[in-house]
Amino acid sequence: MIKLEHVTKRFDETAALDDVSFSVGKGEIIGFVGPNGAGKTTAMKIITTYSLPTEGSVSVGGYDVRTNPMEIRRILGYLPETVPLYNDMLVHEYLAFIGEARHLNGTFKKRREWVIDACGLEPVLNRQIGVLSKGFKQRTCLAQALIHDPDVLILDEPTTGLDPLQIIGIRNLIKDLAEKKTIIFSTHILSEVATIADRILVINEGRIVGDGSFRQLRDSVTDQSTTVLEMEGADKDAIKLLSGIAGVDHVEESKGKGGNSVCYTVKHTPGSNVINDVNKLIQKGKWKVLALYQDELSLEESFIRLTAGPTGKQNSRQGGAE
Amino acid sequence: MKDIGIIFRKELKGYFYSPIAYVFSIIFIFLNAGIYTFHLFFMGNADMRAFFSTLPIVLGLVFIPAISMRLWSEEKKLGTVQLLLTLPIKTEYIVFGKFLASFVFYCIALAGTLTIPIVLMILGNPDLGPIAGGYFGAVLLGGFLLSIGIFISSFFPDQIMSLIITSLVLGVLVLIGWQYVPMVIDGWIPGLGTFLYRYVGVTRHFNDIERGVIDIKNIIYFLSFTAVFLYLNAKVLERRKY
Repeated sequence: MIKLEHVTKRFDETAALDDVSFSVGKGEIIGFVGPNGAGKTTAMKIITTYSLPTEGSVSVGGYDVRTNPMEIRRILGYLPETVPLYNDMLVHEYLAFIGEARHLNGTFKKRREWVIDACGLEPVLNRQIGVLSKGFKQRTCLAQALIHDPDVLILDEPTTGLDPLQIIGIRNLIKDLAEKKTIIFSTHILSEVATIADRILVINEGRIVGDGSFRQLRDSVTDQSTTVLEMEGADKDAIKLLSGIAGVDHVEESKGKGGNSVCYTVKHTPGSNVINDVNKLIQKGKWKVLALYQDELSLEESFIRLTAGPTGKQNSRQGGAE
Repeated sequence: MKDIGIIFRKELKGYFYSPIAYVFSIIFIFLNAGIYTFHLFFMGNADMRAFFSTLPIVLGLVFIPAISMRLWSEEKKLGTVQLLLTLPIKTEYIVFGKFLASFVFYCIALAGTLTIPIVLMILGNPDLGPIAGGYFGAVLLGGFLLSIGIFISSFFPDQIMSLIITSLVLGVLVLIGWQYVPMVIDGWIPGLGTFLYRYVGVTRHFNDIERGVIDIKNIIYFLSFTAVFLYLNAKVLERRKY
């Protein structure tokens, strides 16, 4: 549905996007994350035809951004980061303007009711946009992006300025929409990406440094996973047995938190199913287990490693430059 | 055409939402009528020459920059330019819709000065030919100056900046063709004043029409340059993409 091939966007000498390629299938929901100034908004502006790439090709729904921008605009809904609203207009006037500009005609009434309901705009319909709270402004703008029932939705930080309840509401709305639409949304709230997105794209310094599910991204930045087993009393064979499990690199023994407890920290290759084998050993040796868990990288840690750590493409670029 | 209408209605409504537009319109009408009334009672002539001779200055320095400044600068400041330019409407239509709205607003303000010829008709027996010519010229001149004003506003996200630059540019354009200004410039650099008056100044073209000389060349001058600046405006907005 969305395809970027070797896209570079330069502003004077600096490259906001540097040879970016990715594609998004129909019905997929993509979380776009990266530090400020990484190129998220630039990529979104290009997909929405607001901006054009310096090099490379971009297509949305089979239409090219250079040759068929009007077709793309018809099938695309866009919520820019800046929340584009006319402060002097009333909410219903704003929706009417967008409906007219998007040539909705006969379907406008039905769609208008749907977005008012979905975005919770009923209480503010006759209010001037300029005096609305940040949350209502954001929702009015989201309504604008949804009113024409677009196939593709580009949402630049859709939950900014919303209270926790509204955030949950918008997240659920995005999830519901994802059944029929292709969605790319950017955010700084990493837990949001993990809960909504099918796939996460991590961008840093204009390059895609991570592309995959949360698990895939985490595994890509760790050489080793850790499984921790805490049990009552030591077993002299425990280290030997645990070390024998496939994928295990080494095992460390330490004193546990309880008086007589012992902690075994099992280091192993990521993705291997060590915890199941440990479970089998527990049953076999009749160990009294106090705790068993996988001590994995959090999303935040993975993100920091992807955007700052010497991994992936970013590293190879730096290596190439040297 | 329908798309132009959508943008036109939105922009025209925008003028009536804004108190600044009302303030400037009232100032425009009072200033022109005031200058003129002074002249009328002082000279005792039942014509509108004084009105039309100062009109380009009032338009170029104050009124046109005041109504054109918001057209793109406000969109840029609010970020709505991103919305507008990702709607399925051609950039040319958006530009023309905006121009048309500002032009209609200008014509409404200009119509506010029609009280002058009405008073003249009550008080005396004015020659209506030059008055009609003057208004026709004012409509053409206003459209032309507006097209430059909108074009300039597409460069600045700040309305005040847009106002100042438009006022400067239009001020120079109208002044170099106004009354004795070309002669003064000629006094500094011989020939320059005449050159600018002939090839750059807009007032000369307006003065011809205002005297009742409807020369097709002057009409083409105003219409073609208006079209050129609107076209350039659309191109500038398209260029921003690169």
